[in-house]
Amino acid sequence: MSIISDVINSTKAVIKGMKITISKMPQKKWTVQYPDVPVTVQPRYRGQHLLHVDENGKEKCVACYLCAAACPSECIYIEATDDARPYEERVGRDERYAKVYNIDYGRCIFCGFCVEACPKDAITHGYNFELSVYNRADLLKTKDDLLITKQKQSKNYRVALSDEDVDSEYKEVDKVGIKFRL
Amino acid sequence: MSEELIKVTINGTEYEVEKGRRLIEVCNENGCNIPSFCYYSDLQVQASCRMCLVRIDKMPKLQTSCTINCTDGMVVTTNTEEIAKAQRAMSEFLLANHPLDCPVCDRGGECDLQETVMSAGNVEERFHEPKNSFAEKFLSPMVANDQQRCILCKRCTRVCDEWMGETVIEAGNRGVNTVIGTYGGWLNCSQCGNCVEVCPTGTLLDAVYRHETRPWELERTVSTDVYSSDGMQLSIGSRGGKVHRIVARDRYVNGLNGEFLDVKARFGHEFVNHPDRIKTPLIRYKKGGKAIPATWDDAISFVADKLKDSKNVGVVASPRLTNESIFTLKRLATEALNSDNYAVSDAYNLAPFFDNLSAPLCNHKEIRYAKTILLIGGEPEEEQTYTAKQMRQAVRNGGAKLIIVNDTPINLIKSATQFVHVNKGSYEAFVLALLDKKNDKVSAKKLGVDKAELEKVRVTIAATEGDFIIMFGGDLSAEAQAVLANSAEKFASDKCKVLYHPLPLYNNSVGANDVMQGKKSLGEVLKESKSFIIGGSLQDANILEEKDFVVAFELFETETTDKADVILPAASFAEVDGTYTNNAGNVQRVRKAIDFVNQSKPDWLIADAIAKELGVDFGYQSSASAVFKAIADSVPAYEGLRYPALKNESKPVQAKHTIHSAKDLSNEIKALTERVEALAGETNKNNETPRIGHKLHRLTTLTSRTPQFHLLANGNPKPENLHVSPLKQFDTDGKAVAAS
Repeated sequence: MSIISDVINSTKAVIKGMKITISKMPQKKWTVQYPDVPVTVQPRYRGQHLLHVDENGKEKCVACYLCAAACPSECIYIEATDDARPYEERVGRDERYAKVYNIDYGRCIFCGFCVEACPKDAITHGYNFELSVYNRADLLKTKDDLLITKQKQSKNYRVALSDEDVDSEYKEVDKVGIKFRL
Repeated sequence: MSEELIKVTINGTEYEVEKGRRLIEVCNENGCNIPSFCYYSDLQVQASCRMCLVRIDKMPKLQTSCTINCTDGMVVTTNTEEIAKAQRAMSEFLLANHPLDCPVCDRGGECDLQETVMSAGNVEERFHEPKNSFAEKFLSPMVANDQQRCILCKRCTRVCDEWMGETVIEAGNRGVNTVIGTYGGWLNCSQCGNCVEVCPTGTLLDAVYRHETRPWELERTVSTDVYSSDGMQLSIGSRGGKVHRIVARDRYVNGLNGEFLDVKARFGHEFVNHPDRIKTPLIRYKKGGKAIPATWDDAISFVADKLKDSKNVGVVASPRLTNESIFTLKRLATEALNSDNYAVSDAYNLAPFFDNLSAPLCNHKEIRYAKTILLIGGEPEEEQTYTAKQMRQAVRNGGAKLIIVNDTPINLIKSATQFVHVNKGSYEAFVLALLDKKNDKVSAKKLGVDKAELEKVRVTIAATEGDFIIMFGGDLSAEAQAVLANSAEKFASDKCKVLYHPLPLYNNSVGANDVMQGKKSLGEVLKESKSFIIGGSLQDANILEEKDFVVAFELFETETTDKADVILPAASFAEVDGTYTNNAGNVQRVRKAIDFVNQSKPDWLIADAIAKELGVDFGYQSSASAVFKAIADSVPAYEGLRYPALKNESKPVQAKHTIHSAKDLSNEIKALTERVEALAGETNKNNETPRIGHKLHRLTTLTSRTPQFHLLANGNPKPENLHVSPLKQFDTDGKAVAAS
């Protein structure tokens, strides 16, 4: 094998590769330019949990522990307490509320069982998905991180509208003939 | 119950059962579970919930199995569509007025109604009319009440009446408006909380454990009561190193007491995790100085250094400690410190009683079915509540004769067939009269009663056919105890079996007496020694002021620890493994429910560490079972016992106390006669019936850590607003009403 044929062959290969690359350049991009562009999440996306409050800002959670009981990875820790004050002064909507409500995101598998179990619609999945931290202990989120009134929502997502076809990007991929498998 | 066996067919299978048994029990025992709410085996039949319907051949309609006694040849069906339909309809009726607020209800998860309805499955609510609704309220500092959850099974009212003899809870109003309540809306009773225990729904709730956690989150540990000498079995519900509640609900624990507990056993557990617990070992380097925190190693070596040279070290064990701790303290005295100055800081010494015991101790079941009970002194309804409950039921349901000899008209006399009201401090005269008829004249005079009354007692005892139980409380001198304990032969006959039941004040008084053999009296030890190791606290700590060196093992700062030179944090009953021996001689397990709070250690482990530092190894290797084995090897009454043998709380094991034959006790009788003759004999009877709970609600080192007890001790005032916890409306002194 001579050096010349080596050079020719590799040049051919480069040209072949670049041809594909350059031919894709004018086409529409199907990757999301995160974090410059917000990610579109589906309405039922299961992100970081939200603890809800009622119309007067009282916590809906009554600390019934059903979410903790339903949790397959045992990541929810609750301490219930009694708040006998009248409704206006109370923390929660009911007399019973969660003094401590922790979710360990090091263990959470985002299965949504807690949301299904909740009899008071007090916990739902939000859309926040940027949960990585530098310190493992920070994965433990307390009530201050979870309450809808306190949780900071990321700017890096947008929720798809109900009539929006969120799966379209995959269909576009199909059109150009590249099989994309999950 | 008759011994005759009859044949009953249930769902096509034939069973042999004792004649006259309740059908519902027979069905449940044989695996045909019948739902029911109002039926409770230890209470009289109510038959109001109509859940236990069964079909019995040749009977026209479905029958309630809780009211039917088994008869020969009965053919019963429990699992047909017809019955399921009837039961489903019944649950629908019960739910018609029951709010579905299970998420906030403290009973959710262990609620009989919830379970029955869920297991029936697919119960459709067809009533859409508004339900009765009341705000939750408090009935007392211990009991919370949510009226609309009530299904009117009336278990609480029956328990209050039959078990406690108090009848403070009753059903009020009529028809659909019927609610469970109490006169004046406020409970002024002993606050036993048994109504809370037996309630099948969340109508009556534990206000101390209010909204703390949920039942399935709790780890349940079967253990023994730390307050009364009845040794009631209970279940400690703990979570994450904190004791949340104590119950005796029989699906969790099936001890000698069934579902019975008293106010202290059930609600007095807040001390376990109290912030005032002593956190580290403390050393007071200078008398009267400040106690300075130290490490365990430092504290133990400091103690050992000080004790190495002192002679005649006094060792005092509290009768609240486990058998293991008391035994190790004794070994510490005899083997490591070469001292025979050891004592139990009990209110009275049981040694003369056990040294002369001439008949076995009775267990609590035997009290329930006894025929005659003689109670000399004592106040069981305040101190040995379970014994009192069994006595009440023996009289009420078993037709027993109860003779009470007391200087005070105690509350239990409501159940008594005869009340001998005697002078203060004259119980010994009664013992003397009991012993011999010829003493009647002297005794009657000293007792301040008519001779005929003593004769009547004698007639009742002589007419007994069945068990005759002699109970005695404190205030009996050593001679009187000895003579009484040795007198079984006088009463026993072919028909009558004599049994004894001492009523000591502390949970392990009997055990302390058993394992600390050769103990001296407390006064003697306190006088003779200069240095002390004290497990627990003394009633009167003033004597410690003049002593050289005092080591105290305690949970909290008390008068004793104020005068101690070294204070070592001891572990509470919820943190240790061990055994208690109750007043029936049952050796029962105490089990570790939570990790040691702060740096505390069990008393026996501390004593073991001191002994090791002094150069003596007991060979326990930090194992409580090894200590118990050592007890079993050295105490004859506990011979052959091991922890596995005590495993099952539903079959309590009785220690084999030696039964002595009749002894020659002429010396004791002589001393007793002299004592009786020396009595003043003037009339000084208490005529006032004490308030219910005057001893139960007393603030002690342990009970005062539960804030609710402060309110009870201060007369249980009724707050203005029943919907808010009384704790928020009164300060801890109980008396002053804080403006909200």
